[in-house]
Amino acid sequence: MTSGATLLTATGLGRRYGEFDALDGVDVTLARGDALALLGPNGAGKTTLLTMLAGVDRPTSGTLDWGGASVGWVPHRPALYSRLTTRENLVLFADLEGAGDPAARADELIEHADLGEYADRRAARLSTGTLQRLNLCVALAGRPDALLLDEPTSTLSADQRIRLWDWLEGLRDELDVALLFSTQSVDEARRQATSLMVLVGGRAAFSGAPAELAPGAERDAETAEQAFLDLVDGGAPA
Amino acid sequence: MSSLRAALLLGRKDARVLWRSPALIALLVGYPVVIALLVALVLQADERRPAVALVNLEDTEATVRVGDERLSIEDYTDRLEEEVDLLELDPEAARKALDEGRVVAVLTLPDGFIADLRSGLRPPKIILETDPRQPISGEAIQRRVESVVFQLNQGLAQGYVSNVLALVDLVVNGGELGVFGRSVEAIGLRRARDLVVDVQEELRADGQAARADRLDPIVTFIDGAAANLDLARPAASAISTPIELEVIEGDAGRNPLSSFGFAGALVASLGLAGALIGATTLSSERAENALVRLRRGLVTGPALVGEKIVFTALACLAIGLLLLVLVALVTALTIGRWGLWLPVLLVAGAAFGSFGALVGAAARDARTALLATVMIAMPLVAVGLVPNSPVASTAAAFVPFGPAFEAFQTLLVDPQVSGDLGWDVAHLAGLALAFGAAAVIALRLRDPAAG
Repeated sequence: MTSGATLLTATGLGRRYGEFDALDGVDVTLARGDALALLGPNGAGKTTLLTMLAGVDRPTSGTLDWGGASVGWVPHRPALYSRLTTRENLVLFADLEGAGDPAARADELIEHADLGEYADRRAARLSTGTLQRLNLCVALAGRPDALLLDEPTSTLSADQRIRLWDWLEGLRDELDVALLFSTQSVDEARRQATSLMVLVGGRAAFSGAPAELAPGAERDAETAEQAFLDLVDGGAPA
Repeated sequence: MSSLRAALLLGRKDARVLWRSPALIALLVGYPVVIALLVALVLQADERRPAVALVNLEDTEATVRVGDERLSIEDYTDRLEEEVDLLELDPEAARKALDEGRVVAVLTLPDGFIADLRSGLRPPKIILETDPRQPISGEAIQRRVESVVFQLNQGLAQGYVSNVLALVDLVVNGGELGVFGRSVEAIGLRRARDLVVDVQEELRADGQAARADRLDPIVTFIDGAAANLDLARPAASAISTPIELEVIEGDAGRNPLSSFGFAGALVASLGLAGALIGATTLSSERAENALVRLRRGLVTGPALVGEKIVFTALACLAIGLLLLVLVALVTALTIGRWGLWLPVLLVAGAAFGSFGALVGAAARDARTALLATVMIAMPLVAVGLVPNSPVASTAAAFVPFGPAFEAFQTLLVDPQVSGDLGWDVAHLAGLALAFGAAAVIALRLRDPAAG
């Protein structure tokens, strides 16, 4: 698949729980090299959308087509075996994902994520930031074309957040991996995403480039934040 | 990635995780081992003969003749020694042994025991004193001594009845009768009748028919008395043994209490351990949040549940064999055919594991799964062990603990092993499949993408 090629086409995605529509008629497209941010308050449907795109849950309406692209899934809470070491977790998931040589793939990821110091340490004894890096590495074990991340930085400190995004940008540049991440931070979405979707009440209230969220105020974080709040409150974007 | 390979990888992971959880291993292995050994030792101790002090104040040479037998104190003590270990002590030493707990009771044969037995004027007494600090042992000893006394009384009654019947025979048929050391000939009713009839015939021959007729009531009385005394024989036998107990040895062999108890201990400990392993291994996938990765197609629901069931079966096999080896080493229990234990433990483990997997799949988190498994399994284990009502019996057929108990008991008790074992194993395999299928459905309901 060449750079810029469409990886994902999802149309009219909906997820209904009883009488409640957690997601309603959302369209998503993702191309190689994209970094799409899902922005929204709690309960907006960000995680619901991501879990459906990741194949963890099934939509009750709409169509979803990854076109043969492979997907790496980074859940909000690290999905790891706490009694296994960093290396053992990576070897296991690389093996499950069908990586050719799981041990070699694990070593590759350990080096790439600078986890050598923690390779033989059990996951239960890793710091939050290191654990999140391992969580990401596990998602990369199967060499995915796209990485879906559910609020990957919400539990990290400021320096851990910066280091994680540096690494993710490196992944995007080196491996041409598409990123689709959810966040509650307007600033983070504007800084890291090439495109942005604001979800409110299960519907897409905004979809476009970050600059379009607050036209003419690209460098003004406060204006962008206000534009987001207006969307959440049901008003038009500034 | 095939489901089988994914299941093998997860099985290896589970083994590694279990190996690194010493507290869990201690719980899953140590608990069954301790429980099974304790139960086996307690039951074996129950089968051991208790120590009882015997204080014999009677002249040991004194004997009494009952019927054709001559009984002595030794005959009594020999019979008692079949039930308990008798330590013959003087009264003071016996009291000390009881106080120190070396014996659980003191049995006293008072002076004059044989004389009372011989005279029959008053019943001879045996005095039993038990240790009030050991009420259960004391009760058990009392039952055993009562049983021996009952058997002795029955033997004596038969002796006395034999004496009476010999006298009856003498009255009816005549014979030698000892009176004050002299032997006297008793003619008996039948010969007395012959004599009277002879006299009647002689009188009639002399033309004294009227006189002869006057002797007819004597003949009638003798006939009636002889006939009624003949009836005394079965009546006396019925009195001496009103109810006879016939014990039929079963063809299957033996069924000792310790084997029965150990089979129960094995089911209670291994069943609970197996159910807990099945529940925790499956629910921990959710607790570790790994299910959100696995259910993206890395492993199917049936493969995941199947892996947990096979893992539990292997764990139960290892724990079960360890238990059997320990019990074989420290107790006198007969373990039976080791080759048959392998498939039985595997299938029983699979059934326990699938039961636990169902709870683990349905529970929201690992703690709930653990608690629910214990709370659900405990009463069902009890129902499986003692299905003493139609409802309990029906319920026991739908959970693995009852069939496993039957299979374990067959292996421990029946050296020949009947076809029932095959049925029990098939029953367990069916339950493993049914609970496994239910676990897959529960997993799918709780985590829709799974399976």
